[in-house]
Amino acid sequence: MKHTFRTASVAALAAGALILTGCAGGTEDSSSGPVTLTYWTWAPGVAEVVDTWNAENPDIQVKVEEPAGADDIVAKVLASQRAGEGPDIFAAEYQKVPNLVLSGAGYDITDLIGDAKGDFTDATWSLTTVGDSVYAVPQDTGPMVFLYRADIFEEHGWTAPTTFDEYAALAAEVRTALPDTYLGGYPDEGATLAAYSMQAGAQWWSTDGESWSVDIDGKETQQVVDFWEPLVTNDLIDKKHFFTPEWNTSLNDGTLISWMVGVWGPGSIASVAPDTEGLWRIAKMPSWNGETTTGLFGGSSAMVGSTTKHPEEAVKFLTWLNGSKEGSSLLAEAGLFPASTAGQESLSSLDVPVLVSGQDDFWDVAADIASDTATFTWGPNVQMAFDSFSDAMQSSVTNKTPFVDALTKTQDAVVSDLEKTGFTVKK
Amino acid sequence: MTTTTAPTRRRSIQPKFAPWLFLSPAIVLFVAFLILPMAYAIYLSFVALRVNGGAFGVRQLTFVGFDNYVAAITDPELLAGLGRLLHFGLLSVPITLGGALLLALLLDVPGVRLARFSRISIFLPYAVPGVVATLLWGFMYLPSTSPFNWMLKAVGLPAVDFLGPQGVFGALANIAVWSGLGFNMIILYTALRSIPLEIYEAAQLDGASEWQIAWRIKIPLLTPALLLTFIFSLLGTLQAYSEPMTLKSMSDSISSSFFPLMKVYRDAFALDDTSGAAAMSVILALGTLVVSVLLLRVLQRRTFEQS
Repeated sequence: MKHTFRTASVAALAAGALILTGCAGGTEDSSSGPVTLTYWTWAPGVAEVVDTWNAENPDIQVKVEEPAGADDIVAKVLASQRAGEGPDIFAAEYQKVPNLVLSGAGYDITDLIGDAKGDFTDATWSLTTVGDSVYAVPQDTGPMVFLYRADIFEEHGWTAPTTFDEYAALAAEVRTALPDTYLGGYPDEGATLAAYSMQAGAQWWSTDGESWSVDIDGKETQQVVDFWEPLVTNDLIDKKHFFTPEWNTSLNDGTLISWMVGVWGPGSIASVAPDTEGLWRIAKMPSWNGETTTGLFGGSSAMVGSTTKHPEEAVKFLTWLNGSKEGSSLLAEAGLFPASTAGQESLSSLDVPVLVSGQDDFWDVAADIASDTATFTWGPNVQMAFDSFSDAMQSSVTNKTPFVDALTKTQDAVVSDLEKTGFTVKK
Repeated sequence: MTTTTAPTRRRSIQPKFAPWLFLSPAIVLFVAFLILPMAYAIYLSFVALRVNGGAFGVRQLTFVGFDNYVAAITDPELLAGLGRLLHFGLLSVPITLGGALLLALLLDVPGVRLARFSRISIFLPYAVPGVVATLLWGFMYLPSTSPFNWMLKAVGLPAVDFLGPQGVFGALANIAVWSGLGFNMIILYTALRSIPLEIYEAAQLDGASEWQIAWRIKIPLLTPALLLTFIFSLLGTLQAYSEPMTLKSMSDSISSSFFPLMKVYRDAFALDDTSGAAAMSVILALGTLVVSVLLLRVLQRRTFEQS
């Protein structure tokens, strides 16, 4: 009798506590009055652009929040949506879009976007389409460029390489002329490898609507890793990973003199290499087999969250922000390379980024490169592919095994992960 | 026959509220932050997000039975991670405990000078948060900023690759030892301080030297405290996470699944496979539980029967 009373009172206390903890903050109900949209992003400068919209649109107010960086935002978005409180709009890198859509994070805006498609190139628009439905609006894009120290190149009579064979020869020349210096780095992680491979024509994932095919170890990607392998093993290319403290230092003191990166590169390293302001230039990427398309490295879209209560307002805001000339040029001033054609055309009126201030035609070169980018389908498990590849590549370099093995390991991991999730994979 | 007893008061059958009232905050927190998450994790380990139909089907939560457990146990990466953990543990635990024991014994020698200063300075590294300590040591390991390599270079010796594939275990173990030595030393020192002085007087009357006192008296009497610190160190090693995670950005030799807990984090949050990660963490927790219980059973008889 005592025992049952004790257990009963404990249970009652516990239940009471549970009920209290279960009452989360109340959800806001917008019955009438201005609609407030929450916009989760990490890109600096977007908040100021949104202020312009808020001033001109009192009935649709947008609140910018920065809950996470690019790496963590997917987990945060999914967690908050599963708790019933997801954001109306959030920044989604292109390679994460299919994964987000297949996790139920995106709202199908195919019927709401009207003719926004015309504001972008077909290649760019395809990055926010999964199946036949649209879930996001492209915001900025990262076509690959060859960023190099023009002053050092001129000093030694070097020119930006037009083919990758020229690049390899130049890398050897740099090592002999300047023993402490490297020409550049190699693709030790998935996003960079993808950018090189898509330029060579690879399609890592493809689908016919019913099943997926995976071709990470196809001949185009093999060509890429086979090219870099001798450069790495013969110490002709730098092995430091980008954005580590040592890599930052070598950019600043001139022991690393080029970087193949998205066109956002000059903006992102301005703060870590301040001594080199004005000394860099960009050029078109070297080509693998004579192609003119360039790969994409980075770039993000703005996706409408599946738990939003105001999809029409969200789409209206996004077509202005990302598609219109006014919104895109404001984004460009904030430091993003706009994905919309109107935005790219307006660039020539802007100041050139500080790092490349010696190149007057920077924006023209950039826009020209951006007009011809590769089409690439991202699969549902991109992060798994990237993680497997970095780990496999790390072990290939450390254990001095062929780089192609890293591709095979990645391919196997990706295929088995897709099958485990329940997709059919065509061999 | 019958013994007369004082008349007993009628025992009150009112349940006592006061103890339960005082315990309720702790019970509520325990249930809310330990029991419920554990139950949720166990539930998660039996379900998974699966797609059924087409290439663009949305992933739904479906019951999958023991699939996650089978996948976790047969995952070679998990076994490799446990192997690396063993390598790390074999380096860090003996050195930490051995060092802590030695320093505690030294500090307990009568007539030792600078006792308080030594105690505080040995304990100080424990107060440094794990991430800060790792960053600190990380910059001392990086080839371009390492004072050790600078000194070696000045003398003409080759630089040591602290962050290479072989050196990284020593590097991580060093951080663990540096951080944990002080805490364990304080536990052992306190246990030493509670040994009655008569035992020492008796030993000295028998002509024992300091070394013999330490070896024959202090250490055997310390075995309960040694067992405690050993279990703590074991649990700490099994859960090693913040040091390798922070050092990962500086070293090429640390993969994203270097230790089991790193793999659990990556699967749960980077790959959105919370169910697989839940299964893995249940397995790790059960394994830890089994190891601790076995250790206590085996060593308890030896340590506690003579006290």
